[in-house]
Formats: sequence, C-alpha cells, structure tokens
Amino acid sequence: MSLACTDVRDQFALLLYGELSFDEEELVETHLDGCAECRVALEKQRAFHAAFDSAAAEPPASLLRECRAELSAALEMDARPAEAPVGWWDRFVSLLTGATVLRPAGAMALLALGFFGARMTPLLNTSFLGERLGGNVAEAGMARVRDVQTAPDGRVRIVVDETRQRTILGGLDDQKIQNLLLEAVRNPDDGVRSDSVELLKNVHAQNNDVRDALIYEVQNDENTGVRLKALAGLKSFAHDPEVRTALIQTLLSAPNAGVRSEAINALVQNAGENPDRQVIGALQELMLREKDAGLRQQSQRVLASFNASPDIY
Amino acid sequence: MALNAGTQVDEAALIRAAQAGDQDAFERLVRIYDQSVLRLAMNLLRSPEDARDVYQEAFLRVFKNLHNFRFDCSFHTWLYRIVTNLCLDQMRKRKVRREEPSVVAGTGDQPVDRLDSVAEARVDGDPQRHLFSGQLRKRVKEVLEQLTPRERMVFELRHYEGLRLKKIGEMLGTTEEAAKNCLFRATQKMRASLGDFV
Repeated sequence: MSLACTDVRDQFALLLYGELSFDEEELVETHLDGCAECRVALEKQRAFHAAFDSAAAEPPASLLRECRAELSAALEMDARPAEAPVGWWDRFVSLLTGATVLRPAGAMALLALGFFGARMTPLLNTSFLGERLGGNVAEAGMARVRDVQTAPDGRVRIVVDETRQRTILGGLDDQKIQNLLLEAVRNPDDGVRSDSVELLKNVHAQNNDVRDALIYEVQNDENTGVRLKALAGLKSFAHDPEVRTALIQTLLSAPNAGVRSEAINALVQNAGENPDRQVIGALQELMLREKDAGLRQQSQRVLASFNASPDIY
Repeated sequence: MALNAGTQVDEAALIRAAQAGDQDAFERLVRIYDQSVLRLAMNLLRSPEDARDVYQEAFLRVFKNLHNFRFDCSFHTWLYRIVTNLCLDQMRKRKVRREEPSVVAGTGDQPVDRLDSVAEARVDGDPQRHLFSGQLRKRVKEVLEQLTPRERMVFELRHYEGLRLKKIGEMLGTTEEAAKNCLFRATQKMRASLGDFV
C-alpha cells in the first residue's frame, strides 16, 4: 500500500514530533524514499518547526522571585491553624499581611515574610550578609537565606528573603505604634523588649492586647528586668481575673525572688479589706514552699493584715 | 521533568513529607516544577500578571489538596492538570487576549517578546533577512492567536514543554488520539498561514 503525496505531507508534523506509530512512520519513510518533492516538502516542514524552536524562553527571574515570595507568604498564612485562638499576635500578623487577601501585593508579601522570618527562623543580620555579598544587601534590615542551589553551569544560586528598614514615628496612642510595640516584645534583643514593655505599660486604655503581651512577658521573658517592668504594667489590670491568675502563677513559679515579691505587691495593692480568697490561698501556699526569708515575712505580713492564718488547715 | 544537577530529590518522599505537613518539603516540591509552570502560563497567557495569578492559584490548590493525591498518576501530570485547567479557563474567559503582545521572558529581568528571538536567530545582519524575520514574527503571532485554546494548549505542551501526546491527553482529561488530532489541526493551521515564509 502506498500513500498519496498529500496524505504523506499531512503526517510530517507528527513525524517530526515522533508521534507516529511504527507502521505509520514506515509508510511515510517508504514514500519519501521514492518521492523527491515530498523530501523537499519535509525540509520545509523542518524549517517551519525551527521557527518555533528558537522561540523557547524562560520567565523573568524577577517574576519567578515575586511568585515564590507571594506563595511563601500565602502558605505561611494558610499553615496557621484555623481554630487557633485569636490573640494580639494573630491580629497583629493579620493586620500586617491582610489575611483575607489571597495574593498580597509583592511589597506586603516581603514585609510579611520578613516578620515571619524574624519570629520563626534564625536571622542573619545585615552586616553578616553584607560582608559576604559585597554590600549588595547592605540596605536590608533583615535577611534570611531561603534557598541554595547549584545550577547546571556550576554557579551557585542563593535566594535571600529580605526586608528594608523603615522608621515609623507616632504617639503612644497611635494603634500602629502600639501594634509594632506588641511585636517588639518578642524581639530577641533584651533592650528592645525592655523599652517596648516600658512604653506599653504607659498605654492608658485598658487594652486587652497590651494586657496579653504583658502577661506573656511576666510569665516567659528570660530577662528579670523585663519581667519586673511587665509586672509593674499589670498593676493597673490587677482587678482582671486573667491577670490575677497570671500573677498568682508568677508568685508560685517565678525563679527570681524579686519578681515573686512584686507579684505579691501587685496582687494586694487594691485588695482593701476583702481580699480575693484565691490570693489568700496562694499566699498560704507560698508560706509552705518559699525558702526566701524576706518573702516569707512579706507574705506573712499580708496575710496578717487580712486576718488570715499563715497556715493551711 | 529535569531536576537541578547534583540535587537528586526523591519526589515521592517529598510528597509524603508534604502530605504529613512538612512545609519545607512542599516548598522543595514547588521548586522542582514552578519554573516550568510559570513558563507555560506565561507563554499561553502572554501576560505576567495572569501568569502570576495562575502560578499562585495552582500551587495553593496543590497545597490544599495534596492530601488527596494518591499516586494514581505522576505528580507532574496531576500538577499540570491543575495548571492547564487554570490556563484554559483564563484563555477562554479572556479570548486569549488578542489585543495584547506575546510577552515572555529573556534572561534578564525585563520581559521580552519571545518571537524576537526567532528574528534574532535568523537576521545575521542581512537587511532582507531582517525584513523576512519581522514578517514571520508577525504571522506567527497572528496564527497562534487564531488557534483555539485547546489547540494552543496542546501545541505548547508538545512543542515547548516536550511532553508526549499520551501524557498531554492524561493532563487534559482526553485521549491520546484526541490530543493528536488537536496537534494536527494546530500544525495544519500554522502551516497554511506560514507556508509562504518557510
């Protein structure tokens, strides 16, 4: 069986793509062996293919970078548990990243990445990267190496997430300033945390986010000075049951005697003549376990002032 | 799908780790394919913004549905099924944006017309060839826009992505034979339009 020239030429595209079956290809090849015109036509088809072959291209590197950064930001938001309690930190992150936006703008995504990076991953400071990259990232406020690959040509390809430093001025009553201070209380630098807590305790409004941040600092900060400042800030919230519970926990578990002493002061400062039974119970508990003589005396005085026994019967 | 030299990645292990909630594994999985996904979207949609939307939406869908992936097909096929569906939706919705230039990337950060590279490869400093290349480029643009979204998709996947028709059929939810017919029609249309130039 032989094919007409038009039938053969219809097969040229699939022949060049290698998509003909063995039998189909065999028929075409047989025809080509005896037909010079079709051999010429096949060469024209090859040229036609070549016109497209050289057109293959890669997306711009910048576009790929932006896509990756946006995807990472979206994944970070997506990965957070849906049922997680919404606290001051969550609201802060939501404010920064726009949680309802599926694809945040590039700049916002990088900002979010920077803050997430600051919270969850080790940071490389500017000077560290600047030294190694010849100052190319010297303007970066924070940076993190996200990916390292070896390209086929042997060069090294490193993807760095970075954010730029900004200075923000505003009053303490400015919500934006308050939000940034709330973020700053988790800064690894003791001085930044101390200054932030000092300012937050002066926020006059009975702000639950501020309260939660101060409770977190009292219970978790490794620096005693920061804990004491946070304790001082919580005095104005002492009537709040959550704060009272946190102060009692601090009284019974804080490793530093000074912090425990201030916890007593905070708990009793506005107690009047009818102190909370929970507070009395905590002080009696303290009498049983406290080894610091000064603290035992302080606790005993307070219990006496409330006409309460220093012992648990 | 080619992996980076020197980086032998056990894809199945990455998928399983990602299914177990390992986000780093998911990001490594993304890095294997995302460049070709973006290239395909860019070439098909000829708009960086649309390509960016497809990239984002495709990988978020993968992320949210990865727990349903049962290795019934290759991950590549599964991913490209999502990507091609998104692209086809865009192409149909926007009628392939015929008013826009065919923009894709060069090696730098600025998008370039991918068909410019056809011209560059053929100019060789010859004014007549330059003219020829310009005319060819224009005709190629026109004929690509005349293809239906499905024809365009099959042509892109076969010619630029180098995928076999059988796999293209799997991705598009059709048979190898239907994909072959689609490619045949696409090349016939292009040959009819470009016959005078090559």
